Amino acid sequence: MATNTRIILICSGKGGVGKTTLTANLGIALAREGTKTVVLDADFGLRNLDLLLGLENRIIYTAQEVLEETCRLDQALVKHKQEPNLALLPAGNPRMLDWLKPDDMQRIVKMLENDFEYVLIDCPAGVEEGFKNAVSATKEAIVVTNPEVSAVRDADRVIGLLNTNGVKPVQLVLNRVRPKMIANQEMLSVEDVTDILALPLLGLVLEDEEVIVSTNRGEPLTLSNVNSPASICYSNIAKRLKGEDIPLIDPAKSGSSLKNKFMRLMQTKIF
Amino acid sequence: MAEEITETQFISLPPSRKADWTKAIKAKIYPLKPGPVLIDSADWQLGYREIKRLKSILENSGLRLICLNSDLPETLVSASALGIQTHLNITNTINSSMQNTPKTINERNSQKIFFQKGTLRSGETLEVQGDVLLLGDVNPGAHISASGHVMVWGRLRGVAHAGKEGNKQATITALQLRPLQLRISEVIARGPEEKPEEGLAEEASLEKGIIVIKPASIRAFADE
Ligand SMILES: Nc1ncnc2c1ncn2[C@@H]1O[C@H](COP(=O)(O)OP(=O)(O)OP(=O)(O)O)[C@@H](O)[C@H]1O
Ligand SMILES: [Mg+2]
Repeated sequence: MATNTRIILICSGKGGVGKTTLTANLGIALAREGTKTVVLDADFGLRNLDLLLGLENRIIYTAQEVLEETCRLDQALVKHKQEPNLALLPAGNPRMLDWLKPDDMQRIVKMLENDFEYVLIDCPAGVEEGFKNAVSATKEAIVVTNPEVSAVRDADRVIGLLNTNGVKPVQLVLNRVRPKMIANQEMLSVEDVTDILALPLLGLVLEDEEVIVSTNRGEPLTLSNVNSPASICYSNIAKRLKGEDIPLIDPAKSGSSLKNKFMRLMQTKIF
Repeated sequence: MAEEITETQFISLPPSRKADWTKAIKAKIYPLKPGPVLIDSADWQLGYREIKRLKSILENSGLRLICLNSDLPETLVSASALGIQTHLNITNTINSSMQNTPKTINERNSQKIFFQKGTLRSGETLEVQGDVLLLGDVNPGAHISASGHVMVWGRLRGVAHAGKEGNKQATITALQLRPLQLRISEVIARGPEEKPEEGLAEEASLEKGIIVIKPASIRAFADE
């Protein structure tokens, strides 16, 4: 069956840049807009998407049982309490890594395509087996990076691999942006990053302590604190993903009284 | 008073057939009005000096060269070295995908030039017997190497190695030469730190055992 389901891999190369956080928040933001969305944890080694979404204690079956056909897909899917349009397909136990093949990933995604408009795949770090399995099942990708040389270098490597695997389109999210540090030239600017990666920029996410608070609470920011800076960024990314035209502003070009300008930009929801 | 609006005029040279290109040009520009002009130089192989001459011929007729199209990467690199905007006429002999193996576009004195289009990203390597011309960037973390010359029609920000089998005459040319590291034959140098000048191609070569960087000449592309 041919579907219009958008299958999007969220990947980065380097670990800890914010893939899982982005997957969880995009999932909530898309679901809130009425889009039927499923998030799939492809990080079998270090699963924590369930934790971020606060769904850990509701897991009964996982992708593993679905593949082994010891349960049905709908039994394994965990529906989000507050956002019923969002479901999670949990990763199986880490030993699954030993036998999981690209074919298995493709089978899972095929099943999900029937019931969802968006399939977001949280990719493991690195470019090895786990990454290759996830790439084989996706159509599009979002590459997440931080304004740091090493993260950008790894992102570039991943983009090369996505290109050779025919994944299209590939878009960029720059996470943990600190306008003040960019203004003081202590951090790579948005331009520095896009200059090397040469990808369309889907959005920036500001550095925001609330992200950490919400992570520990198991409630994505987009759910519990819709007005925090990062939360606004995530919602805008979700809207752009759906094709809404929300302009981007480069923090480097927003002039002198940065702080004030930023407050204003945040209120006008530009990130 | 109405401002005069001049439209860009386009002229296209006939196939070269080893004729005198200055005659062909003069015949073509004769009917043109002063203003901007775009030239398709087809398969004419024009070096740095020829393109300088071309510019002055045009200027004498009040024409300003805004873009040069060519079938030949060599001509384009020479033009880019003079800060002229260029455009490659893509023909089916040219591959445009990184996945394919490089194809030979020119065989000259048994020294092959390999041509490839696309950006080399971190972790990717392009290694060639003969000269290599890449239309695209070499990103940090990527490697390009050749037994002959390395020419990058784009930004070189990774590692480049020319003359990797010992050829000390080999050069490295790029529209923006800001590599992490350069190697010519066995000599190794770290890339320069300063920002490059806009629109000036640069060339690295060996002089007295040291890698030096200068504005690009036509040396790398001249008939040997
Ligand atoms: N915009 C942000 N502001 C502040 N902290 C952030 C931001 N984005 C992510 N973080 C923090 O960075 C850490 C890593 O995030 P996350 O787990 O989403 O990364 P990841 O790419 O999924 O990591 P891994 O590669 O290990 O799977 C977390 O502690 C998270 O709270
Ligand atoms: Mg993660």
